Amino acid sequence: MDTKKIDNIISLSNDLRWQIGDEFHDNLAEGIYADAAEIVKDSVHKKDEKGAIRIDAKIDKIITSKVWGFPLMFLILALVLWMTIVGANYPSAMLSGLLLDTVHPALKGFAATMGMPWWLDGFLINGVYLAVAWVIAVMLPPMAIFFPLFTLLEDFGYLPRVAFNLDHLFKLSGAHGKQALTMSMGFGCNAAGIVATRIIDSPRERLIAIITNNFSLCNGRWPTQILIATIFVGALVPATYSGILSLAAVIGVAVLGMVFMFLVSWGLSKTVLKGEVSTFNLELPPYRPPRFWKTIYTSLIDRTLIVLWRAIVFAAPAGAVIWLISNIYFGDSSVAAWLIDSLDGFGFLLGLNGVILVAYIVAIPANEIVIPTILMLTVLVTGISGGAGAGVMFELDSVTATGDILRAGGWTLLTAVNLMLFSLLHNPCSTTIYTIYKETKSVKWTVVASILPVIIGFVVTFLVAQIWRLSA
Amino acid sequence: MNTYNPITALVVFFALSILAYLLFRPNKGWFWLIRNNSGSNDKIVIEDVLKLLYHNENADKHLNINDIIRTLKYNDRLILEGINKMSDHKLISIQGDNVKLTKSGIDYALRIVRAHRLWEKFLAEKTGFKEAEWHERAERKEHELSKVETDILASKLGNPQFDPHGDPIPTNTGKIAKIKGTPVSELSVGTIGRIVHIKDKPEIIYKQILAENIHIGSLIRIVEKTPARIEFHSEGEAFILAPIMAGNITVSVLEKDVVYEEDLARLSILKENETAQIIGISKEIRGDSRRRLLDLGFVRGAEVKIDLMNPLGDPKAFLIKGTSIALRQNQASKILIKKD
Repeated sequence: MDTKKIDNIISLSNDLRWQIGDEFHDNLAEGIYADAAEIVKDSVHKKDEKGAIRIDAKIDKIITSKVWGFPLMFLILALVLWMTIVGANYPSAMLSGLLLDTVHPALKGFAATMGMPWWLDGFLINGVYLAVAWVIAVMLPPMAIFFPLFTLLEDFGYLPRVAFNLDHLFKLSGAHGKQALTMSMGFGCNAAGIVATRIIDSPRERLIAIITNNFSLCNGRWPTQILIATIFVGALVPATYSGILSLAAVIGVAVLGMVFMFLVSWGLSKTVLKGEVSTFNLELPPYRPPRFWKTIYTSLIDRTLIVLWRAIVFAAPAGAVIWLISNIYFGDSSVAAWLIDSLDGFGFLLGLNGVILVAYIVAIPANEIVIPTILMLTVLVTGISGGAGAGVMFELDSVTATGDILRAGGWTLLTAVNLMLFSLLHNPCSTTIYTIYKETKSVKWTVVASILPVIIGFVVTFLVAQIWRLSA
Repeated sequence: MNTYNPITALVVFFALSILAYLLFRPNKGWFWLIRNNSGSNDKIVIEDVLKLLYHNENADKHLNINDIIRTLKYNDRLILEGINKMSDHKLISIQGDNVKLTKSGIDYALRIVRAHRLWEKFLAEKTGFKEAEWHERAERKEHELSKVETDILASKLGNPQFDPHGDPIPTNTGKIAKIKGTPVSELSVGTIGRIVHIKDKPEIIYKQILAENIHIGSLIRIVEKTPARIEFHSEGEAFILAPIMAGNITVSVLEKDVVYEEDLARLSILKENETAQIIGISKEIRGDSRRRLLDLGFVRGAEVKIDLMNPLGDPKAFLIKGTSIALRQNQASKILIKKD
């Protein structure tokens, strides 16, 4: 009897639902919104804030004006990048002096007095410790400068205006204006840039921003670009102009990265991401004085330390692998030598070489250790003097000496140009890949974001190499 | 490396790229064609025949085997095999040349129709695909959804009654709501109504209607009617249609006490220093985008004005409920306002 009553009620409710129709839900919701708005209008009285609004409006008029909007934006971005790159040099030098030149020999000495076997000492100290120390020394200072500066601008309310100004350009490629911010954040660190895509609430545009963030040249790659440009590109012209030319080359690569970002965004939004939901809106919050110390604290804790910790977790095994492949022998050559030899042909096709490809494979955890690894491997396979032994990464204080080692490894201007291109267009570092997975929760998009840039990198370097050789 | 030559390398590379393009280009790539063809098995043919019979029987048309072969774009042998199998499984009965659906045939057909319309509803509400693509995608998806999956989909969508074209979605017990309405071509001048159904066949006319930006759920008012054309106003714009297009749009006539706002405008035409009141959001915006705009305060009765112009012209920031919200031109053009 009871179940019958319940069934009756259910079928009655179904019938009633059918009579009401689909529209009812939407209309009810919209009605509630409108009523709520009426009630607020009648009962909530705001203080007159005309003074504050006038100042806000004045700032807005300048920041979003046709004349000043864009120059101001580029000026601020350039300033932030300059402060980061130049400012980070001093603490970086101090850290590497401490961790690489003082603690490392001390650890070696300690291991020797302990009577540690050479392989354990090599594996732990030359492999794991060195990679971790390197990543900390190179990565920590720029991030500790870049992120607080960026967060201050965000807190002040300037960044949403940048997104507002640039949205039209991004819309042309199917992306969201806020991608301008995540892209700039990517100049600091791609992993942090990808975390920052949370500000984009439209699913399709957010995926685009995540997948294309890797085209922003990150902190780990700026030093590589600057070093290679100085050695090879700067040498093309008389010494007075070499600084300007190598700077132009680096900026050219960064701008090329933005071009690829727009092209890939456009391609993605037209093909694989066509079916994702797209909603746009952008809130322009009022300006407010940034809470300086709080901002510094949170940006250090939330952004810098989390990213650094992930990088360390991934760098430690990479250091071990780098040491192992240089010290385990098959027949009479090391694993590294075998790998380099087998990748040399493919590397040549791309205008690179086996050493560079192996370095990029083992240095997936951090772009910072690519150059030290390349130097170590070059010394290893060419047998020239220099360096600190098999599996021990090193870097030279003198740019000329670095250039000499690379030239001894068979590098030409083409190798240098293609290395710069490949450094821009290759898979994201493992920290970033892991972050992409954490943010998208999708293996598919993680794989796309990891493979796509490296395929583009292969194609671009291949084409450059062939055309170069044809015209040479 | 001895055979290496940059030109050979380039030639090989371009040959491979062209091959990859031919294989994987969207829709027409060989890879997709082969994959789709291998999937075009008995099941799909049978289901398409069932659907065809069902729609025709609903319109009181009875088909024979030749009609079926002529209408469906499969090869004749496949269709004949399918028809034989269907009659073996008692989905259809064949009397002479005429083919009729049995009770279990109707049930099966209803299930496919349900899957198709639910999927269209899903595409409309939860994805970013364009309206013109829905039908084709649902044509493929309807064969893949099982009964259980269809029911889960239905409950996720809140058991909708109508698909985005206004066609009723059969329930899992086979119940179908009726479309109550009159074609626009038969309405008299001055009538106010709400669009409840737009026929998605024939496709050419449907695409024309879409191109005109006419949407289900919008209020319309007929202002002129001649044998050659019908003019009506909807959401602040005037539409002029040929009778053949108007005949494919069904409208449910509204009672007299409904307020029809006549001089509506779109937020996109608002100029600096003008203020306006929001009347609503066009029915063209649905799903997440609609809810998002409501959340931000674009609701009936709200005051709105331009807060900031953009150096590139688009988007513009609007001041609504004390907050500055930037909207793109194509969104602002979907918000209905009345200037003060």
